[in-house]
Amino acid sequence: MFNLSELEHDALVELFNQGVGQAAAAMSQIVHEEVTMSVPAILFQTRAECAKALGNKDGRRICAITQHYEGAFNTEAILMFPEEKSLEIVRLMIGQTVSMDELSDMEQEAMSEIGNIILNSCMSTLANIAGKELQGSLPIYHVGTSDEILSHSGSQWDGLVLTLKIDFNIEKHQINGYVAFLLDLTALQDLRQYIDNYLARIGR
Amino acid sequence: MTTILIVDDSRVSRLLSRQFILALRPDWKIEEAATGEEALDKLDSIAPDLILLDVNMPGMGGMAAIEKLRAKRPAVNITLMTANVQDAIRNKAQALGVGFVEKPVTEERIQQIVTSVETA
Repeated sequence: MFNLSELEHDALVELFNQGVGQAAAAMSQIVHEEVTMSVPAILFQTRAECAKALGNKDGRRICAITQHYEGAFNTEAILMFPEEKSLEIVRLMIGQTVSMDELSDMEQEAMSEIGNIILNSCMSTLANIAGKELQGSLPIYHVGTSDEILSHSGSQWDGLVLTLKIDFNIEKHQINGYVAFLLDLTALQDLRQYIDNYLARIGR
Repeated sequence: MTTILIVDDSRVSRLLSRQFILALRPDWKIEEAATGEEALDKLDSIAPDLILLDVNMPGMGGMAAIEKLRAKRPAVNITLMTANVQDAIRNKAQALGVGFVEKPVTEERIQQIVTSVETA
C-alpha cells in the first residue's frame, strides 16, 4: 500500500490547492462570476468507489471532460458538471450574442474548451512548480453516469487509484461540480518523487 | 486592411476571439482555421498581419505549425493563445520570437493583442 507521510500529504494538498486556485481563476474569467473551490480531498479507493463518490445519489447524468497527462507524473484529470447545467455554463461563457439553437449546437465543443482551459490551468501550475513539462492529451467530452464516465477513462475497474477531489461552486447560478485527478498505483512513485522534490526545494 | 488569422480547433474560442476583435476594430478582416494544416493552406491566399495560434490541436499542433507558417510567410507575426500556460511553453514561445497570451479569451487579452498589432 502506498503511504504518504503527514508532511507529504500536506504538500500534496498544498500543491493541488495552488493548481486549483489557478483553475478557479480561469473558470471565473470564463463565466464572469465568482467561483469558490474546496480544499482537495485525498482518497485511496477503487474506480468503482470513486464513481460512487463522484456520482449523484439518484444516478443523474453528468457531463465530464477528461484529459490524460504524462510527465513528472501521470494522471487523468476530470472536470464534471451536472448535465442539466452545461448549457447554462456555455451561455455564461459566450454571452447573449448567439441564438439558443447555435448555443445547443456548440455545447459539446464549448464544454470541451472549458475543460481544456480549467484542467490545463491547474496542471500547468503543477508543472511550473516542478519546473518540468506535463504533456496533456486533447480533451474528451463524455455524458453519462459517473460509472459510465470512469469506466471509459481508466484501466482496471477494481484497481486502486489515488483520487484528489475538489468541489467547486458558482454560487450565483447554483452550479456545483467537481474536478478530480486519478492516479493509478503505477504513477504514485512518480508522484511521491514530485512531492519530495518540492519539499526539498522549499527546504523541508 | 488589417487581417487576423485565428487558428484554433475550438469553434467557441474562434467565435469569442472574432467577436472581441470586431467589437474593437469592426473594419478588420478575420479569417479562421481549425488546424495547423488548414492555416498553412490559408496562407496561399491571404497575408495576415497576425496569426493567433492555439497550441494543443489535433494533427499538427501549434508549436510544430510555427516553423511551417514562417516558411510560407517569413515576416508574419504570431501569438500563441493557449490554455497550456506552462513555463516550458512560454519559454519556447520566447525562444521562437512569438507572443504568448493565456486562455480563456477575454476582452482585456484581445485588447492587448489589438494594441500589439497596431504598434508592430
